[in-house]
Order: sequence, then structure tokens, then C-alpha cells
Amino acid sequence: MKPLVTEAYATSLSGRWARYLRLYRSFLMHNLKNEMIYRANFAIAVGMDIVFMGVNVVFFAIVYGNVETIGGWTFHQTLILVGSVGVVRELAYLTFRQGFLQLGEYVRTGNFDVMLTAPMATFVHLAFRHVSLTESLGEGLMGLFLVGYGFAHLDAASWISVPLYLLMLFNSLVIYYAFSLMVNSMVFWLVKSQELNTVVYYFMNTARYPREIYHGLGKAFFTFIVPSSLIATTPASILAGRAEGHLIGLSIGVAVVLLGFALSMWNWSLHYYSSASS
Amino acid sequence: MQKYWTIFRVNWQNALQYRGPTLISILGNLLHISVLLYLWNAIYRSGQHLGTYSLSDLITYYILQLMINSMVLSYISWTIVDEIREGTFSNFLVKPLDYLNYWFTINLSGKLFEGLMVTVVCLILSFVLIAHVSLPSQGLTLLRFALALVLAGLLAFEFDFAIGILAFWLVKVNSFKYMLQYGMFFFAGALLPLDLFPAQFQAVSNVLPFRFLVFFPIQIFLEKETAPMAGFVTAGLWVIVLYIILRFGLQRGIKRYEAAGH
Amino acid sequence: MPAIEVKQLSKSFKTQRKETGLMGSIKGLIWRESFYKEAVKSVSFSLEEGELVGFLGPNGAGKTTLLKMLSGILYPTTGEVKVLGYTPWERDREYQRQFAIVMGQKNQLWWDLPPAESFLLNRDIYGVDPKVFKRNIDEMVSLLDLKDLLDVPVRQLSLGQRMKCELVAALLHQPRVLFLDEPTIGLDVISQEKIRSFIQEYNRLKKTTVLLTSHYMQDVEQLCKRVLVINHGQIVYDGLLDDLSKRYIDHKVVKIRFVEAQSATPPPWLKGVVEWDAHHAILKVKQKEVAATTHRLLGTLPIEDLSVEKVEVEEVIRRIFEEKPGAEWAGEDTHGEPSLIQ
Repeated sequence: MKPLVTEAYATSLSGRWARYLRLYRSFLMHNLKNEMIYRANFAIAVGMDIVFMGVNVVFFAIVYGNVETIGGWTFHQTLILVGSVGVVRELAYLTFRQGFLQLGEYVRTGNFDVMLTAPMATFVHLAFRHVSLTESLGEGLMGLFLVGYGFAHLDAASWISVPLYLLMLFNSLVIYYAFSLMVNSMVFWLVKSQELNTVVYYFMNTARYPREIYHGLGKAFFTFIVPSSLIATTPASILAGRAEGHLIGLSIGVAVVLLGFALSMWNWSLHYYSSASS
Repeated sequence: MQKYWTIFRVNWQNALQYRGPTLISILGNLLHISVLLYLWNAIYRSGQHLGTYSLSDLITYYILQLMINSMVLSYISWTIVDEIREGTFSNFLVKPLDYLNYWFTINLSGKLFEGLMVTVVCLILSFVLIAHVSLPSQGLTLLRFALALVLAGLLAFEFDFAIGILAFWLVKVNSFKYMLQYGMFFFAGALLPLDLFPAQFQAVSNVLPFRFLVFFPIQIFLEKETAPMAGFVTAGLWVIVLYIILRFGLQRGIKRYEAAGH
Repeated sequence: MPAIEVKQLSKSFKTQRKETGLMGSIKGLIWRESFYKEAVKSVSFSLEEGELVGFLGPNGAGKTTLLKMLSGILYPTTGEVKVLGYTPWERDREYQRQFAIVMGQKNQLWWDLPPAESFLLNRDIYGVDPKVFKRNIDEMVSLLDLKDLLDVPVRQLSLGQRMKCELVAALLHQPRVLFLDEPTIGLDVISQEKIRSFIQEYNRLKKTTVLLTSHYMQDVEQLCKRVLVINHGQIVYDGLLDDLSKRYIDHKVVKIRFVEAQSATPPPWLKGVVEWDAHHAILKVKQKEVAATTHRLLGTLPIEDLSVEKVEVEEVIRRIFEEKPGAEWAGEDTHGEPSLIQ
């Protein structure tokens, strides 16, 4: 008896995209319902996020009380930077972060197999299954506020930069994703894996500073090995009116290469998992 | 007394088991501190400066802060809160064990273990950056620094324990805890040296005991503390006063716990 | 073409010996002895579409590993598998949409939400037409009597109720092949019964090919005509369940209840005594001697009630497992005596 599935399972590219978009919406709504059950915690979590970002702002406020520029960045330009980190984090939770946080548990309990048998690419399934609007909402909102505030107080603000800013935000999200994917692939062959996402967290934490503070080995490290210097600096520099063509090119290059590498590593790790386990 | 030695030993074993995550957390902090060091370097290279600090002073400040973070700051309150809320605290009521001394021992063994790890890391870091580290000019400074660390450790433990036993009275103590710990963090000088803050802020922080957690010991090391003796005495007094409050609070808390029929 | 075809399938994986004790763990930090464990050894069988077949075997026999290879979760070491024409571990989307796997005690339902939410999610993942979805759900809900449970959060359901919902979630896209790994494990007797009936009915209605593993005899007895017995990674029997009994056991169980108290020792001419006390007795009597033996018993002893029963299939399986894999059944023992139950 033939299966009775009749939706647009076109193998055409547009059909597949449409389907994944629909699935994304499904998961997002589903998770939102789940989160609404814990309403009280939600308010507190948002508060905590705002406080956390507030600490960052205070840090820079005090430093800028003593200096004019950091690496050439003014206070308001830096606010755009700090805000962009928050926005990227929220976007990450909206697209993939929570899935990685749950990965260790899935593999440990054996429930990960569901992702291997469902008719979806495994890495997409893992990413979409736990997409969350509210997990980092406070940071996202605060981030937007800081970006807006900083932008409004610039000496030479230019609205043309906004689309490019958004584009590079997306590029930063890709870098963040690729790095997370790479690190989390190790869950399949490490015995203890709780710390993997702590590593990713520390990584993102260092994104809050302008790239110009680095030089020499440090610059290379924070560009190619732990690409955190690109995550906030590149998009923020555009909005702040200090965009550099080569930086944009570099960021896109790193995103592409890292993503390719991460996907290979993920596939290899999955292959290992399917061969070596019982 | 023997039992406390055993508790110390057992927790040390436990810490040994968790050396992986501990190391990762130290390295994570190290990563962050490294970024900050680049930050200060960039500022000073452009001819600007922060307060009365030289670049070396500032770099030393943050290396020491990395050390103090791991060695002194206490996070036992999380477990204490869970124990009280979930009722496993009852196990302690039936044993001939003093809750405060028990946790003090656990904290001590954990901190010593972490302290060892982080000291090695900091020594390596200092060695690498030797040109930019402000070393004390006399041995007496190191002794004073050690004393300041001991006081800081005691105070940190007392604050954390106090927050933990709040669970006897507050249900939603975790959110409150975050706020308190952030406050402590600020007023301890863990974010930035206290003398870089605006005057009103400094007035408050000078009155609060939190500066003895991070700021005071580092100032001693950097030989920038103008009134070390007064500081030691004040810190010592805080230790004693808090101890009395904790003893009292624990007693009342236990009564309340028993009354709730656990 | 058969729905499932398995040829010389083998799976072995490397594992490490863990030593106990302090010295062992210290040694273990540096070097561990690795050895290969053969979970599945050169297994071959095939299933036609619509068959409901049981895989019976003790824990660790390789059943789960086998199912994982058929569903594409694991890669084999050697061998060939074709399910509906697909090679499972290539994870072709088309294949994934045509099969379902349910593993007992592992759940894919969302914990804090009602099962209805998980069903909707699966609907989207498998791309089921909304009308078809509603029809399938309604049908299964009535078969399993789940109407009032659909809006209750999964964490508040009992284990049996949860298992039923898992089945619905797995079947709502109407797969052609269903793999069930220990579906009744840990459930209470009533739930086990309900789930068995459901599987039976569903297979009858939809002609879904069902491959079920279990270490519970009742699962297999009730549902499967054909069983594959697996032990130590190898198939030791592939055939009808009835034939299994007939082939391995050639005696029947005779149960007696006495009218009045008897002596504690059975009469000397009577062989094959399993239990004997003043009021009851249980005997194993060879098939061809049943008539004669019972006749003689009824004639010589004050019997109130006597029944002749088949040997429990459990017993059959136990015998198979106690045999070395590959050994031939010897039939009667060499003296022609009815074999005593060990």
C-alpha cells in the first residue's frame, strides 16, 4: 500500500526550501507553547539578560569615562558593537543554539536516533527542533536598543549602511553556527561532553570588543581559530561608519570555509557514530 | 575533628574527578582575561590611560583577578539552596555534623584544589608577560597579600553561605541570588578596579565589605593600598560579625525548617 | 519482491575492557585492551509485505542492533539489506517516509505538551496531508481508546498510555514497514494486552509489514505466526511458531489433582514426574504415551481432575537458548525415556 503523503515533497530546490520553512515555523510555534508553560521564569530570564548586558555597558561607560577611543572606536560605536553581540545571540537561539545544548543529552539517552530516522537532514533537524524565541529574548531586545541608541548618537550616521549591516549580521550567524557545529561534532566521540557548549559560550563572550585591539598572533588567533573578533566587529563597523572592504571579504571567506569544514566534520562524526556504536 | 579531615579528603577526590570541567572553566576565564589584556594594551598604546594605573598595574590586576576568582569565590550556595528546598537537608539534621563547619570544609578543599590549578596557570601567564607585570618590591607585600587572600576567602565563604541559607525563608531564592551575586561582583572590583568608578559609587563601595574580596588584596599586591592595617582590621571585624550572624541565622533557619515538618 | 531482504548481515564493533579496582582505573587512563564484540553474525532472512514477524531472543542477543541496521541508524560491518528496495543506511528521504521505528522506553513525544502537539509536529515532518492525518489519527485513537488523553501533557500519562501515543505518533504517516523494539517492556499486563491487540488489528487492516522484537513470550505467541529466534547474534530458528513447539518438544504436560491425600512418593512405574505431593502432581509424558499413561493413571489413582497441556513456549525457547548455536536438535534422548525438565 502506497504511503499517503501528498504535500509538496518536490525535490526541486524551491520545494525543499518551502518545506523546511514550514517545518521551522512548526517547531518554533511548538516550542513557544512549551515555553509559555513556564511563564514566571520567562520574566525573570528576560530581566537577567538585561542585567547581564547592562554590566557590559557599565564596563565600557567607565572605561570611556577615562579614555576617548578604544582602537579608534568611540563610545557610541562600541555600543553598536555590544548590542550586535546580543542580537546575534538571540538570532542564534532562534535558529540553532538550543539544539546543540540538548545534543549531549540526546546522545546519552539514545533518543538521538530519532534524528537519524526522520525524513530531514539530521543537522537541520537538530537545529530546528528546539528553536526558541524567548530563550535569549532579553539580550536580543537590549541588543537592539543599544544598537539603535549608539546609531542615533553617531556623528555621521548613514541609513544606507543598514542593509549591509543586516547582511553581515547574517554572515556572523553563519560563523557562530559553523563554530558551534564543529565543536559539538565531538560529542559523538568524546566520553564526557558537558563542557563542549561551555567552550562555545566562552568563545562568544570574547566577541564584545573591537577587533582593532588585537595584533600579531592574537589577531590571527581571534580571526581564524576562534573567529570571535569578526562576529560583532564586522557588522558593527558598517553601521558605525568605519567599514573596511577587506574585513567584509575576510568575514565572508571565514564563514564559507568554516561552514564547509564544520559540515564535513559533522558528517564524519555521524558516520563514526553509526559505525562504532551498537 | 577526624570527620572533617575525611570530608576534606573525600571532596578533594571529588574535585579531582571534576578537574576536566574545572580546567576548562579556568581556561575560559583565561581566554577572557587575554582579551582584556589586549584591550588595555590597545588603550595604552594609543597614549591614553586609566586612572592612576600603569599598563603593568592593570595587567597585573587582571591576572590576579583571574587567580582570586578561582581561589576565593565560593559557589556552594547553589547546592545549599537545593538541599534546603528539596529536603535533603534533613540528612544533616540527623547526623552529628555541624552544617556550617561541613560546608566550610568542603569549600576549603575545593578552593585549595582549584587554587593550585589556577596558580600554575597564572604563573605561566605572568612568566610569558614578565615585561608587563608589576611585581612587589618587598617580601612583606607577599605576606600581606597572603593574609588578604585568607580574609577574602573567609568573607567569600560567609557571603555565599548566607545567601544559601536564605532558602530557609525565601522560596524564589535563585533569582534573588543572581542579583546579590551581581552586586557583590560589582562592589568587589571584579569588573574594573574600584578607583576607576565615579566618586559616589566609590563612597558606597568603601563602606561595603565586598571590596575585601578582590580589590583590597590586589591593591596590597600592587602596593597601592594607603591604609593596609585599617583594611585588615576592618576585614577581620567583618569576618567575625558575619560569623555571629551566620550562627544565629542557621539556628533560626533550622527551627523554621523543622517547623515546616520536613 | 520481498519487503525486507537481509543477506549475511554482520555487525561487530570495538569495545574496551574496563578493569575494576584502583589499579585498573589508573591503568585504564593510559591503555585499555580493545576487543571486538560481534553483535550480529551473518544473519539472513526475508519478509514479505504484510507479514507480522517476531524476533525472539534474550537480552544482548543482537535484536536491537539488527533493528537499528534495518532502520538506518547503524552501518553494518558486512552484508546487504534491502527494505522496500532501499538500503537503509543511505537514509534516503523516500525510505524514511515509508517506515517507522518505535523503541520501547525511548520516547519521541514532547514531555510537557499533550500528545496532540507531537502528532502535529510529526505530521509536518512527514508531510502528511491534513485530511489524511485526521483520518489516521481518528482511526487509531478509537482503536486505542485515547480520546480523553490527547490533551493531557505527556508527563502526566502512565507508561502504558505513553506507549500507545508513541505508536500513534509513529503510524500517523502510514508507513509500509514498522519496526517495534520491545514495545511492551515495562508495561502493566493490561497495557501489554491492549498494545498487542492494536498491533494485530493494525497489521490486519493496513497490511503493514511488522517486525517486532521482544523477550516476552506472550508478545510473540499472540501476534506472530512466524518467529525468528536469535541468540548470540545468530538466527537459530526461522519458521512457524507452531512448528517450533512441535520440533523441539515431543511431550505434553499432564496435571493431576487428587481426590484425597496421597502418599508423597509417586508409584515406581511412573516416569517423568516433575512435581508430586499429597494433593497435586505434574508430569511430563511423551506424546505417543499420553493416552496409555493417562489411562493407567486414571485406573490406579483416585484422581479428581486431570488435564493434558502443551509445553509452554517459554520452555521451548529456553531449550533453544541452552543449545549451542548451530546444534541439531537430538530428538529423543538415547534411552527413549521422556526427558525430564531441567
